[in-house]
Amino acid sequence: MTDSSQSPSNDRRAFLRGAVGGTALGALGMMGAYSYSPLRHGHFDTAESEKTDIGAVRSLKVTNISETSWFSNADLIGDIRGAGGLLVNQYKFNWPPFADKNGALAEGSYADGIKHIKDDLPNNLERAWAFQMENAVHPENAGGYAALLEIEMRDGSTKKLLLDSGWSYDWIDKAFQREGIDTMLANGEIDALIISHEHFDHFWGFPVSMKYAPEIDVYVPDGFYEEGFQYVKDSGHRGKLHVMKPGLTPLFDGVAIYNFAIPIITRVYGENSLYVNVEGKGLVSVTGCCHQGIIRFAETALKEIQMEKLYGIYGGLHISPFDDWDPKYDDLVFTLGDYGFEKIGANHCTGLLTVKKFIARGLPVVQGTARFGSKDPVYLGNGDQIGFGREVPLMSPVSAEAAPAAYSPPASGGDDGAVQGATY
Amino acid sequence: MPSSETVERYGDGYLEERNLVQRWPTPIPQILNLVLLGALFYATWWIFQDPRGWMRLYTPYVGYMYCRWLLIILIWMVYIFNYWPFRRAWLERTHPVIKAVLLSAIAVAIMAVVIKGFFEGLLGNYGMAYFNPEQMQKLGITDFFAEEYAALAILMFAALASWLSPAWIVGMEGAPWQRERQPVRGLTILLVTFFLATIIFFMTMHPHMGILYEQWQSFAAIAPPWWHEFADTVSGNFHVSWIMCCTVVVWLVETIWERYPFRVIRHDWARRFATFFGIIAIAFACHFFLYFAQELWWGEAVRGTRRLYAPDWRWLHVGETMIFFLLPALFITFYLNNWPRKGSPTYRVAVRTLVTLVAAIVIYWLYYNTSHLFLGTQRGFSHPQQFPMIPTIWLINIMLINHWFMDNWPGWKIAPQTSAEAAKDETVLDPALKPAE
Repeated sequence: MTDSSQSPSNDRRAFLRGAVGGTALGALGMMGAYSYSPLRHGHFDTAESEKTDIGAVRSLKVTNISETSWFSNADLIGDIRGAGGLLVNQYKFNWPPFADKNGALAEGSYADGIKHIKDDLPNNLERAWAFQMENAVHPENAGGYAALLEIEMRDGSTKKLLLDSGWSYDWIDKAFQREGIDTMLANGEIDALIISHEHFDHFWGFPVSMKYAPEIDVYVPDGFYEEGFQYVKDSGHRGKLHVMKPGLTPLFDGVAIYNFAIPIITRVYGENSLYVNVEGKGLVSVTGCCHQGIIRFAETALKEIQMEKLYGIYGGLHISPFDDWDPKYDDLVFTLGDYGFEKIGANHCTGLLTVKKFIARGLPVVQGTARFGSKDPVYLGNGDQIGFGREVPLMSPVSAEAAPAAYSPPASGGDDGAVQGATY
Repeated sequence: MPSSETVERYGDGYLEERNLVQRWPTPIPQILNLVLLGALFYATWWIFQDPRGWMRLYTPYVGYMYCRWLLIILIWMVYIFNYWPFRRAWLERTHPVIKAVLLSAIAVAIMAVVIKGFFEGLLGNYGMAYFNPEQMQKLGITDFFAEEYAALAILMFAALASWLSPAWIVGMEGAPWQRERQPVRGLTILLVTFFLATIIFFMTMHPHMGILYEQWQSFAAIAPPWWHEFADTVSGNFHVSWIMCCTVVVWLVETIWERYPFRVIRHDWARRFATFFGIIAIAFACHFFLYFAQELWWGEAVRGTRRLYAPDWRWLHVGETMIFFLLPALFITFYLNNWPRKGSPTYRVAVRTLVTLVAAIVIYWLYYNTSHLFLGTQRGFSHPQQFPMIPTIWLINIMLINHWFMDNWPGWKIAPQTSAEAAKDETVLDPALKPAE
């Protein structure tokens, strides 16, 4: 079959069409081959950019106040499934503390929820939480994430930062009391509260911090929604509110916040993470959930910050928070060792499976004691500590006194099928 | 063989032969249909997909699976089976809205049988557990991820089929079964392309599924997957990328390129192989080039990281970017009568390609700057649960229903072909090569 007759002019025309088409296809093929050849690397900017000197500190101690953001993966992910998936706005879930009286999954809103508790914030949190226990979706599943950073400065003084404020008023208040955070806040010993991002398990326990220190400086990421800003006000915050713009912002000598403008599940946007440069050791990455990815966080540091080396990690790395998996997470397990971290205190949304894979891969994971609701000693649990540039006991002194049975997870919290092992 | 006068042709040649005429002067029909498409898209998006809407299937994989399968079943019904068992007279005389409702309902019913019956029921219960959420739930995976993982596996089959099935018609011209009657032709091509899709699935997505679970399924799948050093990731997104490129290139060749340049090859089998494999070659060129373009724009990918800089996301984004080219290409063909119609083939193809490129860039920019305002998705590029392929394929499905089942109603209608037009059609194109609109 042909599309032309056999006259000489048509032959010439067909020849020209074929030549044009063949040349175009050839050019396209060459373009494709070049695009993934080693030659392409010549197009990338390899020039050293000017790096920021953020200073240095003598040491850093991190106390894990709570890494247990929820107790049952099945309940949490069941709610997410029932509400319509991972893109549904978190304020819609009817989760505590924004329960409306109808208590129906995915039919809530900030406005409908806050009106029931606004008058109780921040000084009558027990009553506010009691309302949640009666009306919210799975109120017993709420825990929360918070960590205390104690930074020994080069002049011998100490600065303290509170990273995040948990979720459940009840859970996080008891965790604060267990670790003495309540007293530190009330005495003005904590210099600032850094909110890593707007997620329920990091931010919705905000009134607990306000109960003890309403004047404290608060840092939130750019990308907070209207509901988030209103919640800061409704919680009784009277101090300075700093909205961190994308990029590096030195906080004080040796410590900087880096804001990543990234979309996150349940309609959250933007995350603050911390760099702490420990003199003689290297840079420590401290994160709430590290949605930007720990490799991205490390690469950003290598590109933008003066340091000796990458030294340590503390916090959630958001790999398999629900013990779910995706093969792309194995790419991290393959490559994290290349960055030379000496101490990895990954917990929370890193996921047990990920940490087990890290350990199987030979990475220097600091393991914990699995107390106060933490499920597995494979990573740092609630009440555990980690030191960077200094040695610290694994259990915080106050939690060691209370251990092992000061608090236990709610009765409804269940075993979701713990990971039994790990490949590698 | 019986003569064509006595044999029911069903929809064989229907798309090529129907004489669509605009009811009103340009651009009224185009605007009218655009409004209709937009309204249908948004209403159905809200009902089925939107995370703020009614059924909220955009979890994301469950909704993604349904829209991918609907696409391939539409293609099967029209391109492979030529509307069989619906008679030609019924296609020509039935009101477009009735045809759309009936044929779409049949497509949805077939989709349910394929997903629930074949994949979840048959393969998932008697072959591979990862096709069936309940089987995975028994193994301890939470309900949500069991559904997501199964949906991912099932939708990847659809992705492969939505490349291979039309590629066999466009590239291989349906040969060697092009002269068989329906449903023999349809069934044969369906089985052959499904067989090919199965082979490629086992070589591409099965190793991905093999390391999705703990422990790695090393006895059942190659682990880590064979491509991981070349692609810089173990993720099957590397394959999603080139498969999507193949899918889009098939339709570019079929629509705005009028099957050029391959159609100038005179020898039948040389032309068929050149087209089939040429499409793959062009797709691989796009696959690598669009990855490179991202490296130029955002910087080099870094293995192990997440989001914008992750190789797995970059590969996925190649596929996502390609789908933006398909939208304007289909619009040009379906609603602008493949403008321009005059000039040499080189000129026509060049103009349409240029317009498609520019329009795709504009749509891409609009999507990433505005979609979070009306689709219920998250703003930003690399949200791990954001798949632009879902709304774009959803819209393409609606365009296909409008063009294939509704004869472009309401802006167009079928009119009897004049003898001059029929004669022109006979002389301009070989029927086997004639673009199917």
